[in-house]
Amino acid sequence: MPVGPFGIDPLIWAPLRLVIAVVLALFLVLNGALLQIYLERKIQAIIQDRLGPYHVGPFGLLQTFADALKLISKEDVRAAATDGWFFVAAPALVFCPMLASWVVLPFAQDIVGANLNLGLLYLTTLGSMTVLGIVIAGWASNNKYALVGGLRSAGQLISYEIPQILALVSVALVVGSLSMVDITRSQAGPFVNVLFLPFPFVIYFIAALAETNRTPFDLPEAESELVAGWLTEYSGMRWGTMLALSEYGNVTVVCAIVTTLWFGGWQGPGVDAIPLLGVLWFTLKVYAFIVIMMWIRATLPRLRIDQLMSFCWKGLIPMALVNIVVVAILALAFPTTKIPIAIASWLLLAVFVAGIPLVQRRRLRALRARARAATAPAVRAAS
Amino acid sequence: MTYDFVEPVVFALLSIGLIAGGVAVVMLNRITAAALLMAFTFLCMAGMFVLLGAETIALFQVLIYVGAITVLILYGVMFTRFSDRPRALFFQRQTPLAAVFVAAVAIPVAIVALSFTSPTPRPGGGDLVPLATSVFTDFAFPFEIASVLLLAAMVGAIVLTKRDDPGESALRRRR
Repeated sequence: MPVGPFGIDPLIWAPLRLVIAVVLALFLVLNGALLQIYLERKIQAIIQDRLGPYHVGPFGLLQTFADALKLISKEDVRAAATDGWFFVAAPALVFCPMLASWVVLPFAQDIVGANLNLGLLYLTTLGSMTVLGIVIAGWASNNKYALVGGLRSAGQLISYEIPQILALVSVALVVGSLSMVDITRSQAGPFVNVLFLPFPFVIYFIAALAETNRTPFDLPEAESELVAGWLTEYSGMRWGTMLALSEYGNVTVVCAIVTTLWFGGWQGPGVDAIPLLGVLWFTLKVYAFIVIMMWIRATLPRLRIDQLMSFCWKGLIPMALVNIVVVAILALAFPTTKIPIAIASWLLLAVFVAGIPLVQRRRLRALRARARAATAPAVRAAS
Repeated sequence: MTYDFVEPVVFALLSIGLIAGGVAVVMLNRITAAALLMAFTFLCMAGMFVLLGAETIALFQVLIYVGAITVLILYGVMFTRFSDRPRALFFQRQTPLAAVFVAAVAIPVAIVALSFTSPTPRPGGGDLVPLATSVFTDFAFPFEIASVLLLAAMVGAIVLTKRDDPGESALRRRR
């Protein structure tokens, strides 16, 4: 009789591992959202020198549970002029692609819903479907803030998808596979991909912040300009599904992609002896990136929409194209070693980071000159 | 226990979704509903590709058609005023002519489809490498031609929509 992983018959193991993956996914989506909202509040409070939630439960841990109960028991409010079916369908259209993308995340060795050999492409495909739900939500709300939020979201998400995919492609080029499991396996030992490909990692992380509508790219739901953007008309659990579950679920998916592609996924000390330890390492790494995202949110101010677009089209996309050309040439020229790619990638990263202040200074000088030229005739006329 | 019955059932469901969605896209008066149903049709089409063992094409179908083209159509719809109101179909007067054209296309297709008996080839996953190899070797020239066409379309769109800001150009002249 053939014996599968953990000494279980493969015939039982095949459905069993799907069940484990689905349970883990639901557990992480539902409780992860609660935990991440708590973390978000607490971390922002620490950074802003406040206390944050502390009344409900120890350290305020039960605060988000209370909030979730409130959301679930809330009346289902729908404005009269909203667009019936679309208004109801939009939260599902945002939520379903996010949940479906958890199928291919490798939580640990053999704990994968499905080891697709196109896993990475599958994830980017589902990521691109979220936009549809957001645009529909903005349209169906019959509200100008929601509409502007939906339009911004469509522009932003379609634009930032390009550098994101280009950054992923350069990793796939070096590893030679699109399967999440193969990519994890290729990073045995301490030599994780971020040491060889730091530049695509930075591009991906910036683009991922925009894809998940996190500050400094949270223009579709900018509170100070658009009330709540495309979420304005939603309340109760519809709002909860759209914002709490989908947004935090997407953040987790994006951080899981970062972990798998650049930081060795479930690999870590002691994994070979106890395979289940992989879940712990994976979760710890994912949450480390989630905390970094929250840190960025508490630190950086929001961009303006034109700055957002010009940063993507004039900054990220050209750099991503340069990166992919360099990585492809070096991968062809030196098929046996990754060291030239690593050197080139670190150099590109240095050029990118050092180039930002230079470009900014030139841009500011031009802006100042233009402002001076524009005000000069008015000053002359007034005097 | 075998799972042979699953594939015909999935095929039937996808066909129903595909045909019903396609008909609804044409018949519905509301343009947003038509756009959303078009996305649904594309998803069913992607399911068909998966059944045929062409997962890469299925994923690109969803990535490009659902994730980009449908969104762009909705984007365009939102910039036009009152376009979501029910309206009479454009093609109502041409119904007899349209019926003739449909028959001229549909009857040969139906004849070919019903007389087609050769077993379908099953690559069965992992079709990314043959696809990429053929794009970059046998079909390199059409591939490049297509990208040049897209570039020309993009430049044309920019030229058509770009308006010179009068204040900005005056400023440039003064400098």
